[in-house]
Amino acid sequence: MLDLRVPTGFFFTLVGLILVVMGVFQPSERPALMDTNVNLYAGVVMLAFGAFMLALTRLSKHEDH
Amino acid sequence: MKLAAVDYLVLAVYFGFVLGIGWRLRKKMATSEDFLTSGHSVPVWITSLAFLAANLGAQELVGMSGSGAKYGIMTAHFYWVGAVPAMIFVGLFMMPFYWGSRARSVPEYLKMRFDEKTRALNAISFAVMTVFSSGISMYALGLLLQLILGWSFTTTVLLSAAIVLSYTFLGGLTSAIYNEVLQFFLIVMGFSPLAIMAVMKAGGWSGMAARLQTMTVGNGINGDVMVHSWKYMGHTSQNPMGIETFGLVMGLGFVMSFGYWCTDFLVIQRAMSANSMSASRRTPVLAALPKMMMPFIVIVPGIAALALSQMSVGYDLPMREGVPDYNQVLTTLMAKFYPAGMLGVGLTGLMASFMSGMAGNVTAFNTVFTYDIYQTHINPGKPDHHYLTVGRMTTVVGVALSIGTAYLAASFNSINDMLQLVFSFVNGPLFATFLLGMFWKRTSGHGAFFGLLSGTIAAALTHGLTKAEGMGGWITTVNTFPSSMAQNFWIAIMAWTTCFFVTIAVSLVTAPRAEKDLVGLVYGLTELKHDEGVAWYKRPVPLAIAIAVLALLLNIWFA
Repeated sequence: MLDLRVPTGFFFTLVGLILVVMGVFQPSERPALMDTNVNLYAGVVMLAFGAFMLALTRLSKHEDH
Repeated sequence: MKLAAVDYLVLAVYFGFVLGIGWRLRKKMATSEDFLTSGHSVPVWITSLAFLAANLGAQELVGMSGSGAKYGIMTAHFYWVGAVPAMIFVGLFMMPFYWGSRARSVPEYLKMRFDEKTRALNAISFAVMTVFSSGISMYALGLLLQLILGWSFTTTVLLSAAIVLSYTFLGGLTSAIYNEVLQFFLIVMGFSPLAIMAVMKAGGWSGMAARLQTMTVGNGINGDVMVHSWKYMGHTSQNPMGIETFGLVMGLGFVMSFGYWCTDFLVIQRAMSANSMSASRRTPVLAALPKMMMPFIVIVPGIAALALSQMSVGYDLPMREGVPDYNQVLTTLMAKFYPAGMLGVGLTGLMASFMSGMAGNVTAFNTVFTYDIYQTHINPGKPDHHYLTVGRMTTVVGVALSIGTAYLAASFNSINDMLQLVFSFVNGPLFATFLLGMFWKRTSGHGAFFGLLSGTIAAALTHGLTKAEGMGGWITTVNTFPSSMAQNFWIAIMAWTTCFFVTIAVSLVTAPRAEKDLVGLVYGLTELKHDEGVAWYKRPVPLAIAIAVLALLLNIWFA
């Protein structure tokens, strides 16, 4: 059976990367009401979540062996 | 609102993953049960998040943020009073019978417990209801995206329907459930930054409260009502919802929410697919934890929007024909707080919530149609692969019917309101039937059937005899409610009470089923396994207690 943590992990890693790239290379892209690099912060959180999901998968594979 | 290339990229990546999950699961679908019920094989963390996400449609995101701006934190009653107690109840007390009976659907449980006519009544009304509600939410999404992005209604409807159809057709219920979990994470990730920023900009919770206390919201009520969930519940004239404690607790907290969470196959199906009895009981209990946090993501931004509109910082409530258009609160906030990139994630989250809601409806519809209508009444006794094919075909038909309904709703606007009213008549009495069926072995099939019928009639009569906001009173008006929400609560209370007593009365004069036929279906005749020796967080009861305490604390904190 498909381990759902794998696609979830890859999805958020990818979306997180897209946002981080936006945040780093287009830091002037800011919302109308806040002077915050939203893309960078949200991207880092998503990247971390994606990596966490993938790490969990690796971890449980080790336990199985 | 204008989308940049990166926003479309995020949307495309999401569509790719959703379809990929369906594609990877296609080979697992060997029997009709694999396709329609996931063969009791899904791990508990997945079933719980799917249990929550199947109910988390786009209308909930859009509607709840609008209600936040209109009614304030009182809207959280729909979570902290409405949902959480019912979710705990269904997990602890009802899943043992749903899961333990090995019924493949809620109507099938009714057949096992009562008789064929009770099943048929429930199956047919449920099937019609799911098709219409997925059509109506498709219509709502199409309308919203047309309004904010200028996308064509037809493109939105057909594209989103095609994607939902592809992944449910390929991987059945498992695919729908897996995608619902991905959708849940995306909704949380896509909308919590909005909540955080909107509240920060409005000066934090205390800054918002101070701002709102200086304003008046409808009927001369002070804005302080927006930040208290219980303080102004003594009388209907004290709050903009026009409700009071008894109507709220009995109508919403007891009848309506127990009727939904404890009997609606759309959500129960997720818990039934769990891989053990304990896991199926923990599914709704665990789902209650993220559920009680949802107000912070969906309601609080709406309250912040109202506060921001008072601060001349460049945010105004969206208006339409001179009155606030609350359905656009969420999207106008996104436009002001999300730059290109994050805007794509937020929009994808909105699409995801729509898809999880629609896939939930479609997968519940095909199971009920295939097993409870087709296999029972139209063409019984065929080999299993025949029903697998029928299940797949029903998925296509279900999506097609939903599209038709979406267009129907688009051309006859009043049809929405009328249908939702009819659904509430049908749903109102349901919980009384299940409660008596599961906990009183004397309840007979005739009792259940006539109880349900009379409950539905009582609901319609209540609507015909009372009036609120110009609705109802089509017989004569004996009472006027201050709001249609109060009227709905009381319709539900009347329906439930009538069904409860009629079921008891009819059961007492008709023959009950033999006790040996009720083993596994009724409390007292079912052996409940206790799971001693397992860690507390893996046992349903201690988990339920911990979650109930948390919900209580939230109610007190925001009282």
